[in-house]
Amino acid sequence: MAKRVVVVGGGIGGTTVANRIRRALDAEVASGQVSIQLVDREGVHAYQPGYLMVVFEKMRPEETQRDESQLLHRSVQLVRAEVEKVDAAANKLLLKGGKELGYDLLVLSSGSVLHPELTPGFAEGAHSFYDLGNAKKLRAALHGFTGGRIVVSVAGMPYKCPVAPLEVTFMLDDFLRGRGIRDKCEIHYTYPIPKVFGIDTVAQPMTRLMGERGISIHVPFNVDKIDPAAKTIKAVEGDTLPYDLLIAIPAHRGADFVGASGLGDKGNWIPTDRYSLKAEGKENIFVLGDATNIPISKAGSTADYEAEVVTQNVASMVRGETPTARYEGRVYCWIMTGLSQATYIKFDYLHPPHPPTPSFAHYWNKTIYNRTYWDLTARALF
Amino acid sequence: MSGADPPPGTATNPPAASRLIVDARGSWCPGPLMELVRVIREEPVGTEFELLSSDEGSRKDVPMWLEKAGHRLVEFRSDSGFDRYVVQKTHE
Repeated sequence: MAKRVVVVGGGIGGTTVANRIRRALDAEVASGQVSIQLVDREGVHAYQPGYLMVVFEKMRPEETQRDESQLLHRSVQLVRAEVEKVDAAANKLLLKGGKELGYDLLVLSSGSVLHPELTPGFAEGAHSFYDLGNAKKLRAALHGFTGGRIVVSVAGMPYKCPVAPLEVTFMLDDFLRGRGIRDKCEIHYTYPIPKVFGIDTVAQPMTRLMGERGISIHVPFNVDKIDPAAKTIKAVEGDTLPYDLLIAIPAHRGADFVGASGLGDKGNWIPTDRYSLKAEGKENIFVLGDATNIPISKAGSTADYEAEVVTQNVASMVRGETPTARYEGRVYCWIMTGLSQATYIKFDYLHPPHPPTPSFAHYWNKTIYNRTYWDLTARALF
Repeated sequence: MSGADPPPGTATNPPAASRLIVDARGSWCPGPLMELVRVIREEPVGTEFELLSSDEGSRKDVPMWLEKAGHRLVEFRSDSGFDRYVVQKTHE
């Protein structure tokens, strides 16, 4: 009987890991010794970094979506189904509708789920850009914006793409200047800790940029609630800010089935060994991307780098070898610092990031990545 | 903050039964303090947290945020290559 490798999740992590495993086990898959299945509820792959680009007309909405079946190698079977539970003791998934799917090795790349309802007033009072529908609404709101007070805020932690609040703030500043209404607008940036980003090497240059561009900083600011009628946002620290337009990052949680399976912590994030990427206490379950509880960026590049490690370890286990590959915490993210300039952060567990001076060249690299994502990254061609 | 550090592994203050380890070593993005803020918002009043951080900036940020947010720094120790902060949540 073939060894069954099952991947849950059709985002960047699940798609690239399934394609990479197929390539690593090419001979075993071709001979029928190994089967690879990917389970995804919708069968549609979203390029989520594109949503911010949609807000500022840098990408068209349709450029952020592809049918998952177009991206997977023909040897990877796509199973369109919703996972209700992982029965780890029996090595099987319980799918909505009553079907079951057995596995020998399981890779969970189930991502994060947006929960705006966890913040009172969010749904009625805040704009967001973390899903395509809301990105388009924000794009329309900015199109009609003629001036006033804009507040950028983070309503819950952890959230994916930790640099996104910085990016939307700088792009917004550039956008308003281009429209000739910057002098009629105030931009207020809030963040939950006493500086604009998590560590000094990034926070210091970003603070300097905000000063140069006339952006007001309010830190620490942990969102308590939003009052849509009064158009105010209140922090647990006590501060209240009025706004004309609020752009906020909604709270995130791990997938519901994680909690139902007893695999997660309070936020449904899966406790995961930071090096082997195995679910803690589970020898045949790997976790990658947003789904882990590892305290690093929930970002596409994290999932992509982790997919390389999981692929090697899955291939080793299929061959009866010891899985020795280690994830060293590698992450690489661009930071848009305007509509046509960017910097980047590159780091691992041992080496903090040192973002270079923002430039058009870094923005161009980001643009190339956006354009080649579907054909190179998602298909795991490099 | 404690200046004279005991050898690594020496317990100067036995962990409370409810103490949660927040291992944020190597967390450059979003950063150790973001992890601490997250777990403090999730857990009940009285919970103790042991934050492990390899980020030197945390030495300034963590006490500053705790003072602003009104939670308690119970203990600080510098180990080999990283720092330990024992923190207690004192209110919702």
